[in-house]
Amino acid sequence: MSTIAHDEPAVVIIGSGAGGGTLAYELTARHIPVVLLEAGPHLTHDDYTNDEWDAFGQMAWTDMRTDNGSWRVARDFPNLPAWTVKAVGGTTTHWAGATPRFKPHEFKARTAYGRVDGANLLDWPIDASEMAPWYDKAEIAMGSTHRHGRKPLPANNNYKVLANGAERLGYKYYATGPYATNAEEYDGRPASVQDGFNFQGDKNGSKWSTLVREIPRACATGLLDLRPNCHAVQITHDAQGRADGVLYLDENGAMHRQRARLVSVAGNAIESARLLLLSESPMFPDGLANSSGQVGRNYMRHLTGSQYAQFDEPVHMYRGETMAGIVADESKHDTSRGFVGGYYLETVSLGPAFLAKFLDPGAWGRNFTSFMEQYANTAALWIVGEDMPQECNRVTLSPSATDQHGLPAPNVYYDDHANDTAMREHAYRRTAQLYQAVGAKRTYATTPYPSTHNLGTVRMSERPEDGVVNQWGRAHDVPNLFVSDGSVFTTSAAANPTLTIVALAIRQADYIADQMAAGEI
Amino acid sequence: MPPTEYSADALGENVTRRLARALRAVFPHDNVPDGPYERSAEAILSSVSASPHQTAVIVEGLRGLDGLTGGDLTAVTADELSAVLLQIERTEFFQIMLTNTVVTLYSDQEVWDALGYEGFSSDKGGYVSRGFDDLDWLPEPRVEEYDGEPLTDYVPSIPGGTQPSFETKKTGAAR
Repeated sequence: MSTIAHDEPAVVIIGSGAGGGTLAYELTARHIPVVLLEAGPHLTHDDYTNDEWDAFGQMAWTDMRTDNGSWRVARDFPNLPAWTVKAVGGTTTHWAGATPRFKPHEFKARTAYGRVDGANLLDWPIDASEMAPWYDKAEIAMGSTHRHGRKPLPANNNYKVLANGAERLGYKYYATGPYATNAEEYDGRPASVQDGFNFQGDKNGSKWSTLVREIPRACATGLLDLRPNCHAVQITHDAQGRADGVLYLDENGAMHRQRARLVSVAGNAIESARLLLLSESPMFPDGLANSSGQVGRNYMRHLTGSQYAQFDEPVHMYRGETMAGIVADESKHDTSRGFVGGYYLETVSLGPAFLAKFLDPGAWGRNFTSFMEQYANTAALWIVGEDMPQECNRVTLSPSATDQHGLPAPNVYYDDHANDTAMREHAYRRTAQLYQAVGAKRTYATTPYPSTHNLGTVRMSERPEDGVVNQWGRAHDVPNLFVSDGSVFTTSAAANPTLTIVALAIRQADYIADQMAAGEI
Repeated sequence: MPPTEYSADALGENVTRRLARALRAVFPHDNVPDGPYERSAEAILSSVSASPHQTAVIVEGLRGLDGLTGGDLTAVTADELSAVLLQIERTEFFQIMLTNTVVTLYSDQEVWDALGYEGFSSDKGGYVSRGFDDLDWLPEPRVEEYDGEPLTDYVPSIPGGTQPSFETKKTGAAR
């Protein structure tokens, strides 16, 4: 750890998750000192608990938020649009671990899908061949199973049901990964003990997160000034419109200003957009870097849903790595199914506490309890697919709600696109068939949970009028402002986003280091 | 007699037991003993204790259920009481019971035991030696990826149509 003076113009990164934590490590490894602001506390594996609600209270971002739109989350969880983490390591401390790559056509959704009514589709300004070496680096850093010599995880019970159902349905592309948790010791971290707790923080340290890998390594360089419990509230700029500082509140509520020569925003898609909007100024009255009007828009949260299935025999789905089971057969683009884009099926498990809350929010009575009583005989999968970017789906500043600091709370508006609905219905039908093929007596299609994948609110575009940042995550309007998280996703693809966020951050670090060395920043 | 003061003290001795009975009608599990329902009832009473309004909602709600069940809500079966609750699903009284209990009841160790959930595992070394893979009523599946032909990721919408290029065009304004 190092201490960087507040009046020293530093590289300041806001957020320590997949994007910010990775960027901090990659820059310090290139001898560039970094101030890393993290809104949450520095929890470690000893702090974590296996109690779902206690863990939620400890880790989740529960600052005031509001949501609306036609998605069901707005009805059931009007103050919880997203389930993400507020702690050092960010949402990598509770992610499940699946690491599929984007497919080539998913970087070019506008070209691949054509015009889709109501969708604000755009091609990414980068492509799969350009990303391939960065994906390699990310997979090696994260220890993805099935890649670069990493062993696959063994089949747990929930996977056995998924894989057998997939096989009987005629699917071929199933496996226990790629998944960024160690099947055997790797990179100084132990093999998984199959304890079944991922969303509650990994007490064993087998799962990749920036908390266990990038941040300690950045600290070890002596060039990282990590500041937990420090909540950024505004990025300031000079008379030339270049970012020159970050205002943040410490844990006592005192405001500080860190001078900056470069600012990276990586607060997850809701907070990143909110921070740019909060950073409005006379020069940037619509929010910082928002000449396109796209800041906060095109919010994507993936097409999601779950299928629960109950059998005559026990499953014990909660034992073992939660998401170490992936079926890719439906991840293709094939419009004969009635929609563009595709989706993955991945094993998932909730304990009784979260299952009761999220299975069918508001449900009660015998129909509900009879389902809960078959808990031990239950298998489950999660559906994750590409959702359409829509301009109306957006993060704005609430005109009335405020957070604990008195700052305008973010409001998240989301409508399902017709393509999202068609894909979800297809997935519900296919997944019920999958489980029935191995003898399911009862299936239960579950509505989307609050968003765990939050994307697109500060999107990448070739042209400044179409988006907020360029192919390096560099703001079109502010040359020393970067965005380093899933906010930059031009489109969502079907893949779980963490691998791509990490790959983009490694690539971005390389670019920033080169630009700084060349005196361009 | 209804209370004249709506403080926690005025709730009376039976309120936990009566509320627990109503909670069993919300989430009826025949194999769950009274303990978890009573603990959930106590949690609700504790959470409303700071609000005279919500305390009154609970007291009056229980009194109303008595009225709808012939005088004593504890004298009817859980299913009979469930049928009565269907009529009041939208009331604040019911919503307080529902939203609190779904959290507390299903976080209760005794309920976990009844459902066959094993709870904390990290302190027991996980399940790596305790049955994470003990399912034996299906064949052992492959864990490696399929080694045949790769998945066709992109199917052109016109049968036999050509696939567009997904490379970034090198012309244009990219900087």
